[in-house]
Amino acid sequence: MSATSTVCAIVRSGFEGYLRDSLPAPQRGMLRDHLSSCAACRDAAAALDPTLLFARPIRDEIPEEDGRRILAAVRTGMELMETERRIGGRSRRRLLAPAAAAAVAALALLSPGRDARSARPIPAGSPSEASASARPLDSPPLPSATATDGLQPAGLAAEAAPPTSAATIYDWNPGAGREEPRVVWIVDRGLDI
Amino acid sequence: MELVYSQEREHRELVEMPDRDLAIRARDGDLSSFEILVTRKTPAVVSLARRIVGNGEDARDVAQMVFLRVWGEIHRYDQRYSWNTWLYRIATNLSIDFLRSARSRERAHGATLHLVREREDASAGDASRTAEDAELSRLFEAVSGRLSEKQKAAFVLKEMQECETREIAEILRCGESTVRNHLFNARRILRKEMQRLYPEFLRGRNAR
Repeated sequence: MSATSTVCAIVRSGFEGYLRDSLPAPQRGMLRDHLSSCAACRDAAAALDPTLLFARPIRDEIPEEDGRRILAAVRTGMELMETERRIGGRSRRRLLAPAAAAAVAALALLSPGRDARSARPIPAGSPSEASASARPLDSPPLPSATATDGLQPAGLAAEAAPPTSAATIYDWNPGAGREEPRVVWIVDRGLDI
Repeated sequence: MELVYSQEREHRELVEMPDRDLAIRARDGDLSSFEILVTRKTPAVVSLARRIVGNGEDARDVAQMVFLRVWGEIHRYDQRYSWNTWLYRIATNLSIDFLRSARSRERAHGATLHLVREREDASAGDASRTAEDAELSRLFEAVSGRLSEKQKAAFVLKEMQECETREIAEILRCGESTVRNHLFNARRILRKEMQRLYPEFLRGRNAR
């Protein structure tokens, strides 16, 4: 009897125990390993009980691209969860505010030929065109709160909002008639961003 | 330069770290460790989900949900327990939930979608698997439709994920005797379905 057939005989004698779930783990593993490499024993196993055909790891090879997509989707989901956690029970309006501020800040940073120092902060409630367009004229003034070291647009560190203001309105390139877009953005200093 | 070298070395160390150590680091907020776990466990989770939900496309969606759930719950991970058991418990539960909602959708919309999906999936997945694995995978998908969710989960965990009966009991939150019962019934139903649906396939094997 060859070495291979001895192994086959040992493995085949373990089929019943495997089906009864009474084989110790190492023997179970050996049987499974053997079945994945020996076609004759697989056929013998299938003749006894066709479900033994499944007694081997059937791993799906995930293409690298799919793996990367799953990881990217998980990362995005984690970021969303983190955002949700940070804003807690805040309203949707307040969720959108920092996103919009970030988008405008990104736009400002990406726009060439802008002099950051030309932006000037306007305290909330100032009778400026910007504040008038940002909220209805008959709306009450923005609530006052202590300013924090929150969002500070790039290049504007020296022109921080007054410490008593809850929100700061920045008016980028307010000079009219220069055919350059005017950008106004509001930073709510009460947001924890 | 030195910083890049040290980052690469740290990444290499993480890649070689056991699951449990990575999970502990992830629990403490280390994103890199978690991402390595995601990359390492994606094949196993997709494979498990695929056997339970019945197709690869849904399995990939379930895998994303599994890892997000794991991340959301990672603060609860208790290092005294096996990481795989914890991960498989979440993966099994989400796959079963997905299967239930898919079944209710199917009842509402008919079985057409399932048939289309099955065909699309069979052609898309074959290229990346060995022929025999692909054949077995399709065979299981075809004959496992009559298993209950628990029977299917127990069988998949035992046969295809190589879990011990004790581990499966922890994953399914039941006793070991219940797991054995699920396995026994799963084999009985599968045997019947294989003989009913693929008699030539089995006769061919028996004749060899």
